[in-house]
Amino acid sequence: MRNLASLVLLLLAFAAPLSAQERSGPLRITITEGVIEPLPFAAPAFIAENPAAGEFARDIAQVIADDLAGTGLFRQIPAEAFISRITSFDAPVQYADWKAINAQALITGAVSAGTDGRMTVKFRVFDVFAQAQLGDGLQFGGSTGSWRRMAHKVADAVYSRITGEGAYFDSRVVFVAESGPKDARKKRLAIMDYDGANVQYLTDDRSIVLAPRFSPTGDRVLYTSYESGFPRIYEMNVASVTRRALDEQPGTMTFAPRFGPDGQAVVFSLSSGGNTDLYKLNLASGARQRLTSAPSIETAPSFSPDGSQIVFESDRSGNQQLYIMPSGGGEAQRISFGKGRYSTPVWSPRGDLIAFTKQYQGRFHIGVMRVDGSEERLLTSSFLDEGPTWSPNGRVIMFSRESQGAQGSSTLYSVDITGRNLKRVPTPGGASDPSWSPLQK
Amino acid sequence: MQTGTYISGAAHAALIAWVLFGGALQKKPAAPMPENMNVSVISAAELAAMSARQPDAPADAPAPPPVPPQENAPQAPAAEPPVKTTDAPSPKAPPAADASPDVTAIEPLPKAPSGETAPAAPPSPDTQTSARLVVKTPQPPQQQAAPRVAPKAAPAPPKDAQISDQAQKEVAPDPLAADKTPQKPKEAKAPAQAATEIVTEAEKPKAPLKSQRPKTRPSRPAAPKVAANPAKPPKPPAKSATDSAVAAALAATAPAPAAPSGPPLTGGEKDALRVAVQACWNVGSLSSEALATTVVVGVSMNRDGTPDAGSIRMLSSEGGSAAAAKQAYETARRAIIRCGAGGYNLPVEKYGRWQDIEMTFNPEKMRIK
Repeated sequence: MRNLASLVLLLLAFAAPLSAQERSGPLRITITEGVIEPLPFAAPAFIAENPAAGEFARDIAQVIADDLAGTGLFRQIPAEAFISRITSFDAPVQYADWKAINAQALITGAVSAGTDGRMTVKFRVFDVFAQAQLGDGLQFGGSTGSWRRMAHKVADAVYSRITGEGAYFDSRVVFVAESGPKDARKKRLAIMDYDGANVQYLTDDRSIVLAPRFSPTGDRVLYTSYESGFPRIYEMNVASVTRRALDEQPGTMTFAPRFGPDGQAVVFSLSSGGNTDLYKLNLASGARQRLTSAPSIETAPSFSPDGSQIVFESDRSGNQQLYIMPSGGGEAQRISFGKGRYSTPVWSPRGDLIAFTKQYQGRFHIGVMRVDGSEERLLTSSFLDEGPTWSPNGRVIMFSRESQGAQGSSTLYSVDITGRNLKRVPTPGGASDPSWSPLQK
Repeated sequence: MQTGTYISGAAHAALIAWVLFGGALQKKPAAPMPENMNVSVISAAELAAMSARQPDAPADAPAPPPVPPQENAPQAPAAEPPVKTTDAPSPKAPPAADASPDVTAIEPLPKAPSGETAPAAPPSPDTQTSARLVVKTPQPPQQQAAPRVAPKAAPAPPKDAQISDQAQKEVAPDPLAADKTPQKPKEAKAPAQAATEIVTEAEKPKAPLKSQRPKTRPSRPAAPKVAANPAKPPKPPAKSATDSAVAAALAATAPAPAAPSGPPLTGGEKDALRVAVQACWNVGSLSSEALATTVVVGVSMNRDGTPDAGSIRMLSSEGGSAAAAKQAYETARRAIIRCGAGGYNLPVEKYGRWQDIEMTFNPEKMRIK
């Protein structure tokens, strides 16, 4: 019995601290379920600090609001709902007024324009419920002609501060502008802001152009043109609109070029004698290296962000699938094993995902998968979706979608990698084959 | 025989061990719950009185603990002319357009917008006082509820009473014959015509006011009693060794009572708090990295159930960079403040239990799939 008693005593002694601990200290709760909805923000018209800035003040605030709301992550609160007005850039913020309309973020700013054609834009972001400023205020200077860029830069800063990830508003997209019916379509290179503004044409429509690709610095573009009668790769300087042909080899066709992360290496497909393989070209030295040598078709190469690997498509297994190999060539590993055909792989700037086009059961999808081929998920589905390109922050994918029928036309769309916020990117006419630039400096 | 005793002893020991470590004891609180869940009938008036209390809180501007001036001495204001990067040469090509947008200078502005902190001063009188009210009036709100309800109810009847002009004439004499209490008939007229609810609430609430909130658990106090027992040493000595051992062990648990006041929150009460915070935890705008970051946030609560915004702080984070943790924390902070603006539904009598709360925000389930 004594043994039993001491055993009980022992056990109780153990239990004692447990219950004691349970009773003291702060209350602890764990929250694992939240909500996913756009964050409401208020962006009152910026303050015009002088008469010349008047026309920009409102427009800049609107572009910022459009940028943020366009991500699907934010929701703009209409100005009609505002209780208090921002009358001065440095005036105290009446948090209670903004809280009352549930504005969780508040963006205030001011614009001043000089007579010399230059202007400055400054802004601040506030976390209304925490009653604190988010980060420092910033000021941008530039010419009045580039007010949209300055607005995008402000939006970029706001986006980064609230979401914690890189932004993409101050970026551009090069694409193929299309016009005319399907059987006689005219194509030319065009460039625009990411939101469809400021469209410019880089080539005329005398020859067909395909698949433009931005350089890592955004100053040059590689594309394929049929100018000579055969597909051939050209490099264009975006600012000067000058171009040159790359790696001219008689009797061959070159296409599907893409820059390496250093801006000097270019990978592309070269077709000779009925066989298509991948090659790498050094723009500085002109040295060319063959990366694959298989009787199958290898094309659509894309570098990993660190430049160590290349993902591409090949039909070596019988139909189009995705493969990864070292950037210097070597054994390739297949990563796509789902049903259907995979093509146009593009490595995310973050390095964690690969976007691709998938054809399955008569429909096309834009999808993403991990670098090892796992966690494949399809983001879109339509008659014809293809040619994905990543936003600079790896959060959004732009692609071209073609509608069915003889009168069908191609347009650009963008979608969040969550599959949400699918929306059309406005372009003057038809558009296809987009390539997103890096964030501009 | 002894073999049987040993077997029996071993079996009992195992059973006791299982009871203690198997969680049976810890789940104890669950047992009393059903008993405590006794439905306490709340009259409409009580309910009205309780709900009437809420309007008070919102009326006060959410405690804006004036953020300490973070103003880093604004060094060089806009003085510095933007760094000029010559606009890229305009393209030779026809599309002159704005191929060369030049956005050059990027300068940090004088950090702390005078608006934030400095301004805090001017509006402070209002906001601060209101903030204090929030803090100091945790209990009052309930008491105030009655007076406010009453005054509102009072004016109502007269409006309706206007319908009967004759009655007013009688009303006038009332003050004269105040002592006679013939008022009853008059009151009867008013309620009959006016909105009955308001009148009845105004009268009845006085009683319910004292009973602040439905008592949810009378049973728990048992624990402290146990603690009290050990205080009586005389008993044990007479008992067997086992009893003394049990008593001694229980005595060891006794020190706890000094801790937080009131019985612990029930699972239901905790759940209610969790659900309330969840409703405002919007992770839609978080980066994928922040969505992989778990943060533990500490917050001190006011007695009226509102969080003390100034006390919210990040205790720890796990799974992401410092920047990601900061975003995750800010989102959590917004959730606590937003949904707590009207006061979380927490039992006042257990204030000691939830005065300080540690909330762990784990977005694992919210991650992009």
